[in-house]
Amino acid sequence: MFFYHVRIALKSLRRNPVLSSLLIGGIAVGIGISTAFVTLRHMYVQDPIPGGSDRVFYVRLDSWGGQQSYMSDDPESLPDQVTYADARALLESPIPRRQTPTFVGAAFLHPATAATRPWQAEIRLTFNDLFDIFRMPFAYGGPWTEDADARAERVAVIDHDTNQKLFGGENSVGRTIRLEDAEFRVVGVLAPWRPPLRYFEMNRGATGKPEEVYLPFNLVEPMQIATRGNANNWKPIQPYSFEAMLASERVWLQYWVELAAPGDVDAYGDWIASYVEGQRSLGRFEQTTRYRLSTVPQLIEEFGLMPAGVRAMSIVALLFLLVCSLNLIGILLGKFLARASEVSVRRALGASRAQVFWQHLIECELIGLIGGGAGLLLSLGVLAVIRRHMRNGEALRLDSEMLLFAAVLSLVAGLIAGLYPAWRACRIAPAMQLKVQ
Amino acid sequence: MHIGPVVRAMNHNRTRVTLIILEIAITLAIVTNCVNVILAERAKMATRSGFEDTGIVRLHTRPFVPEFQDEAFIRTTVDADLQAIEGVPGVEAVANTSFQLWEGGGSSTEIRPAGSSSAPVRTQIYYGSQNITQSLGATVSEGRPFAEGEHGSGSGEESASVVIISRALAEALFPGQPAAGRSIEFVTGTGEATGDPYAIVGVMERFFNPFGMPGADPDPFEERGLFYPQRAGSYAQGLRYLIRVSDPGDMAAIITEIERRIVEVNPGRVVEFEPVSEKKARWFATSSLMVTTMTFIIAMLVIISALGLIGITALSVAERTRQIGTRRALGATRADILRHFLIENAIITAAGLALGIVATYALNVFLVANLVDAKMPPMLILFGIALLLLNAIVATLPPAFRAMGISPAVATKSI
Repeated sequence: MFFYHVRIALKSLRRNPVLSSLLIGGIAVGIGISTAFVTLRHMYVQDPIPGGSDRVFYVRLDSWGGQQSYMSDDPESLPDQVTYADARALLESPIPRRQTPTFVGAAFLHPATAATRPWQAEIRLTFNDLFDIFRMPFAYGGPWTEDADARAERVAVIDHDTNQKLFGGENSVGRTIRLEDAEFRVVGVLAPWRPPLRYFEMNRGATGKPEEVYLPFNLVEPMQIATRGNANNWKPIQPYSFEAMLASERVWLQYWVELAAPGDVDAYGDWIASYVEGQRSLGRFEQTTRYRLSTVPQLIEEFGLMPAGVRAMSIVALLFLLVCSLNLIGILLGKFLARASEVSVRRALGASRAQVFWQHLIECELIGLIGGGAGLLLSLGVLAVIRRHMRNGEALRLDSEMLLFAAVLSLVAGLIAGLYPAWRACRIAPAMQLKVQ
Repeated sequence: MHIGPVVRAMNHNRTRVTLIILEIAITLAIVTNCVNVILAERAKMATRSGFEDTGIVRLHTRPFVPEFQDEAFIRTTVDADLQAIEGVPGVEAVANTSFQLWEGGGSSTEIRPAGSSSAPVRTQIYYGSQNITQSLGATVSEGRPFAEGEHGSGSGEESASVVIISRALAEALFPGQPAAGRSIEFVTGTGEATGDPYAIVGVMERFFNPFGMPGADPDPFEERGLFYPQRAGSYAQGLRYLIRVSDPGDMAAIITEIERRIVEVNPGRVVEFEPVSEKKARWFATSSLMVTTMTFIIAMLVIISALGLIGITALSVAERTRQIGTRRALGATRADILRHFLIENAIITAAGLALGIVATYALNVFLVANLVDAKMPPMLILFGIALLLLNAIVATLPPAFRAMGISPAVATKSI
């Protein structure tokens, strides 16, 4: 019966191609716009770390001293990052399954051939856990070993683009790269990976790409690599030296942990609290003993990383689809009632009201689905326009979740447009119409 | 006079009437809010910086050879760079500076009139070589630009203790008085003056550079800005310049020539150019995306709602063909029928618009909570109402005239 209804519906759509394309076009425009803008919003609210968003935490401690809180106008504020000494101490905790301090630096990358000029690459120093915490995909090789971390070996993981530029995209594991005047052995090459936001360090150019080169964190002391990101002091470092900076109260490191289960957060919090308490007896943490463990979605919210207007635009786009559907009601009513005589003949020949109702509703849902399909094509165009406007536009794509959303949206739009006309069609009395004939 | 039957007829077709009212209300809400957002975003994009944004290009050179670790070498290179760039035909002015327009962020400090104990004023602050105001195309309305030698000499002499400040900063420091010739001092976090006082030699008329990030208040310092004379650069930060060209149309050719000459001065560095107009466009990317989207939505909305309205009123006439024939047969004139439909449409449209005004403000409250600064001006609602009235009239007149033309014979034909 269902396929019979579909066949009749298709026939009815073919009978008046102009009207049908108008109806389909109306849905298509609505779906095209709303899918594109909901996808844009989705980029900021989607699960950032599949399977780990509720277990990965960013650690902040209130190591700020002096007379003021970190942000002088907000007594609740905590420093965005941690000090080197605190990072080293946090690494001692046995509770997290994975953990790492990390920061970004810059260094000139010298290609082996003179044909390509050297360029300044962003490098991220980290323990090997970072790759697993953020589920970074590898094309070749993998993270360096625990041993390499412990011995501060000169090994590197490079990203897809850097591998293209330096090695023409081939498997470069085992080859060497030259950063400034030091050589590093490549142990892993990332597959193309472009998250919408640079999750490791969202307080600095959050919409940028992840860094190009990754090196073991323990190289920071032997190579004296300075941060390229934000760094804040409340106490001057005098006289300045790299060692003095490492020992100082400067906050410049991001600290990430992944717990085995979300429930471990209390135990880990207690561990941090006892560490802070211990430091207090040494004269640090003089203001408060507060600390904060935030998930990535909480940081996105706290740093306000979704641009003003993205949520507004997605709501306006959905309202636009609603207006499209509402307007189609009138057109569909006209279409159905114009063939009232046909319906009344079918009713007289024994079709039940329910059958007539389903027949017409299926026709509307068919319009919704065809319009939805056309709308998806249209949304690809709209997404291309949006992509040009957003710095992180290349991370914007229609994933399976959004395709499903578009399909459901098409059915809902078809339902809004078709429910009342279908109901009216099934109320057509057989006798009246036959009499007119 | 005819209101009674019209209302009773409408009561008979409650669903259809509700539908049209809803359509009109939501359309009014969306159209007016879209126009409002467009106006607000366009106003933002029209923000003038006080500088000749379209003609300025930023040049960043990042050295990778070790001799740049020497400060004296950097100074000579800066001088050679400035000279090389100035010599390129079409270049109006060039300066070595830490100032970056339309970047978001920058550096800031606190100052106050020298020797006073008044509350310090926070301002943006950047170094710039001699031609900094010329390279920005800024109007120095009081005093003068930096003079030769003030940015220190090649032999490592100190820069002069002079500054150029913006009009807004001058007003904050010396309300209602001329500022050129006065002096300021820098203030530390604890409120003590540091270093020697600086003499104000010039006042720039305007200074707008977004300091907050997009979404936040872009202008927390309200156009307060300060330049001090200096040439600088470092191995880590590179050497940075702002170049203003006389004809923005020649930008591409001039950039190629500058790059050639810069590499000639010293090839041990990477050279990056970025026209300020591109940075400004990037700064306003979300705004221009909103303008494009909202314009498209309005256009589609007007077409679709006109189609929908035509469809539904045509139907309402078609449905009532026999009733109209009967009324005509019972003595109603053609004018009566036309009046019936016009009154009906007037009532429905009025109800839709009334509901629409409520919906407009509701949507606006939501948008203002999610956008910056797009409060609904009442004039705009009037515009939206006028637009929708026009829409309603155009869509309902043809069916009403068709109804008027229905002959009384229709009533008798099928009975």
